[in-house]
Amino acid sequence: MNMKGYMGKLLVVDLSSEEVKEEPLDSQWARQFIGGSGLAARYLYDLLSQETEPLGPENPLLFMTGPLVGTRAPSCGRYVICARSPQTGIWGESNIGGFLGPELRFAGYDGIMIRGQAAKPVYLFIKDGQAELRSASHLWGQGSYKTQEAIKEELGDRQVRVACIGEAGENLVKYAAVMADAGRAAGRTGMGAVMGAKGLKAVACRGRGPIPLANRQAFTEMARAALLEVKDDITTQILRQTGTAGSADYFALLGLMPNRYFTQGSFPEAEKIGGGAMAETILVGVSGCFGCASQCGRRVEIAEGPYRLGETDGPEYETVASLGSLLLISDLEAVSYLGYLCNAYGLDTISTGVTIALVHYLYQEGIISEQETGGLKLRWGDPDPVIQLVKMIARRQGFGDLLAEGALAVAQHYGVGDWAAQVQGLEMPMHDPRASAGVALSYLTSPRGACHNKSDMYLVDVGRIMEEIGVAAMDRFQEEGKAEVVARHQNWRSVCDALITCTLMNVPIQGLVDMLNAAAGWDVDLEEMMTAGERIFNLKRALNIKLGWSPEGERLPPLFLQPLEEGGTGGYVPDVERLLLDYYRVRGWDRETGKPTAEHLRRLGLEDIARDLGESV
Amino acid sequence: MIEFATDEWAEAFMGVINESEAYAQAAKTWEGDFYFIVEAGENIPQPIYLYVDLWHGKCREAFATTDPSVKDPVFRMSGSLENWRRVIEKKLDPIQGLLTRRFKLKGDMVKVMRAVKAAQELVNCTTLVSTEFPE
Repeated sequence: MNMKGYMGKLLVVDLSSEEVKEEPLDSQWARQFIGGSGLAARYLYDLLSQETEPLGPENPLLFMTGPLVGTRAPSCGRYVICARSPQTGIWGESNIGGFLGPELRFAGYDGIMIRGQAAKPVYLFIKDGQAELRSASHLWGQGSYKTQEAIKEELGDRQVRVACIGEAGENLVKYAAVMADAGRAAGRTGMGAVMGAKGLKAVACRGRGPIPLANRQAFTEMARAALLEVKDDITTQILRQTGTAGSADYFALLGLMPNRYFTQGSFPEAEKIGGGAMAETILVGVSGCFGCASQCGRRVEIAEGPYRLGETDGPEYETVASLGSLLLISDLEAVSYLGYLCNAYGLDTISTGVTIALVHYLYQEGIISEQETGGLKLRWGDPDPVIQLVKMIARRQGFGDLLAEGALAVAQHYGVGDWAAQVQGLEMPMHDPRASAGVALSYLTSPRGACHNKSDMYLVDVGRIMEEIGVAAMDRFQEEGKAEVVARHQNWRSVCDALITCTLMNVPIQGLVDMLNAAAGWDVDLEEMMTAGERIFNLKRALNIKLGWSPEGERLPPLFLQPLEEGGTGGYVPDVERLLLDYYRVRGWDRETGKPTAEHLRRLGLEDIARDLGESV
Repeated sequence: MIEFATDEWAEAFMGVINESEAYAQAAKTWEGDFYFIVEAGENIPQPIYLYVDLWHGKCREAFATTDPSVKDPVFRMSGSLENWRRVIEKKLDPIQGLLTRRFKLKGDMVKVMRAVKAAQELVNCTTLVSTEFPE
C-alpha cells in the first residue's frame, strides 16, 4: 500500500494468544476520519457494544497517531489512546504529548490495536517494523518513572520511548493514567486501568524510518512558515516562560480557576501556586514534546523540607488547580509533590483532585467522619492527608478503594450523587462552568464527559478567537449564539485531535490544512476539513449511543447551578436547557433521544452508522 | 478632552494612576517601565511611543515621543490606534488583545502573567482620562 502521509499499517497485538501481526490501514476511513481519535473511533465503532466489559479482554485498546505526527509540522508530536472507558462506560480517549507517537510512525505504524489479556504481565516492544511481547513481571508494582528507566536500561537504548502504567493502572483505579516521557500523561477516562486489566505494563518504541510525504518540498516550506508564525505567537512565549500554569493568576481573576470544591468564588493565595510563582521559586528548567517551540513542560526541584524532590516534572495548570486551589492548598512545594506522586503512581490529577476535594467537602458537611477515612482528619489547605489519600487511592488501600472508583461513585455511596462534580461520570476539569457559558456547553456535550479539551472554550471565551472557522469574539457569559460557536469549535478540535496537533499552540489553521494536503496528496479546503471534524464528532456521539449513553447524563450537577457570591463569575449560572436546546438545533440532533438524525448522518457520509443506529436512510 | 498619545494625555494618565488606590494595591510589587506603542496607520503618520514608568503601584514618569531611542523600557506593547481605542473604551481586555494577536508584547511574560489584576486596574485608569482620538 502506498498511502502518502500515512505509514499505511496498524500493528495488531492479541495479548491472549501472544500473536503480533500487521494490518493495512483502512485508506477509505483515513480519508473520512483523518487519523487520531477520529480514525480510532471508526475502528472501535465496529468492535464495541454495550456488552463490552471495559476492563475485560474484549475491550480493544488503540494507540493512534495522525498524518502530521512526527513530521516537521510544528507541535504535531502527539498520539491518542482510546477504548471504552472504565470510568464512564462511554467513549474513552486521552491525548498525550512527548515522543512516542513520532517514534511509532518512524517504526512504520500509524497505530497499535491491542486486544485480549495477558496471562502474565508483559510489555510490547516495537522497533523498526518488528514487534515482540516481553515479560514485565519484574516491573509489576513499579512506579511510572522507574518503569520507564528500567525498560530503557533493559533494552540498552536511551532513545527508546516508553508509555507505561504505575501502580494505579495495575490496581484498576478507574482514572488511572498512561505515563510517558517522564511525566507526560494520558490522564483522562482511565486508559491506564484498561492497560492494567490487560496485563500490559508498557509500550516501548523506537523507529528510524522516514514518513512518506506526497510533496516533501512544499511540505517543508509550509512547515517552516508555520513554525515562524508559531514562534512569534504570544501564546508560545507565555507557555515557554510560565508553562500552562502561567494562566492560573488570570483564570483566578476571571473565576475560572475553582476553589474549595467549586464552592468558593475566589482564593487570593492562588497567586502562590501559578506558573509565575513557580518561575520565581522552584523552576530549574523546561521540557517539551517532539517538534514544539513552546517547551511548556516544567522542571522543578525542591532542595529541602517535607516535600523535597530531586529534579522532576513540575505541575501544569490542571494540577495546580486540582491539587491546589480546589483543596485551598497554597503551598507550591506541596502541590508539586502531589503532582509528582500522581505521575509516579499513574493517576489523572484532575479526577484525583476532584475526588479528594469531594471527600473533604463531605467530611466538612459531617457526611463522613474519621472512621471512614481511616483516621485522617481532612482540613482545607492541609496537604498531608491529601498525600496519604493519593497513596491509598493508587494502592486501593482502605478508604482509598472507594475513592479509586471516582467522584460519582463516592457521592453515590454516601447517598449524595448530585454532589459529585462530574458530567457523564468524568470529573470536572479546572475551569468553572459558571465563569463561561461556552465552558458549560462544552462540558455538557463533550463525547467523553466533562472535558476541557474537546472544545477549549475556556480560552475562546477569554479571547482566543478563530475567525477563519467562525469562532468569533463573544462575551463569556453570553448564551445567545454560543451553541453555534461551540459546535464549530468542537468540529475544528476534532480535526486537531485527528491530525494530531497540540491545541494549546496557535498553529495556523490554514497552514494545517495545507500541510495535510502536502503530506497526503489531498486537495481539501478548510470547509471540507470542518465537515470532517463534524463527521468525527457525530461518529463519537453515535458510538456513545451504541454504548448506552442517554440524555439524562447530559446535565450539570446542582452544585453548578448555585451562583458564587463573590469572585470572577459575577454570580452567573448557565441556563443549561437553553444552551442545550440551541445546541441540538445547531447540531441537527434529536433532543429527546440525543441521536443525530438520519438526514444529518447521511449528509456527513455516515449512512452505515445511521443504519446501525436503526435510522432509515 | 485630551488628545490620545500626546504628552498632555500621558501626564493626565500619570495623574489618574497616582490617585488610584485600586491600582496602588494591585500593582504594589510591580517594577517595570513600558513603551505603549501606537503603530503607524491612518491618522498616525509615524509610530508614537507612550513611555510609562510604573513602580510599586505608582507612575514615576510618563510622556509621548516619536523617537524610540529616548528610553529603553523593559516592556514594549504595540498595537493599532483602533485597538488601543477599544482597550481604553473597555471593549477589549488587554490580555485578550494579546491572545488574539491584536497586540504584541515584548518583555518578561512571567511578570506580565503575574500582574493581570494590575493590568485591569491600569485600563480602569485610562478610562478616567477624558480622551479624544484622532478621527
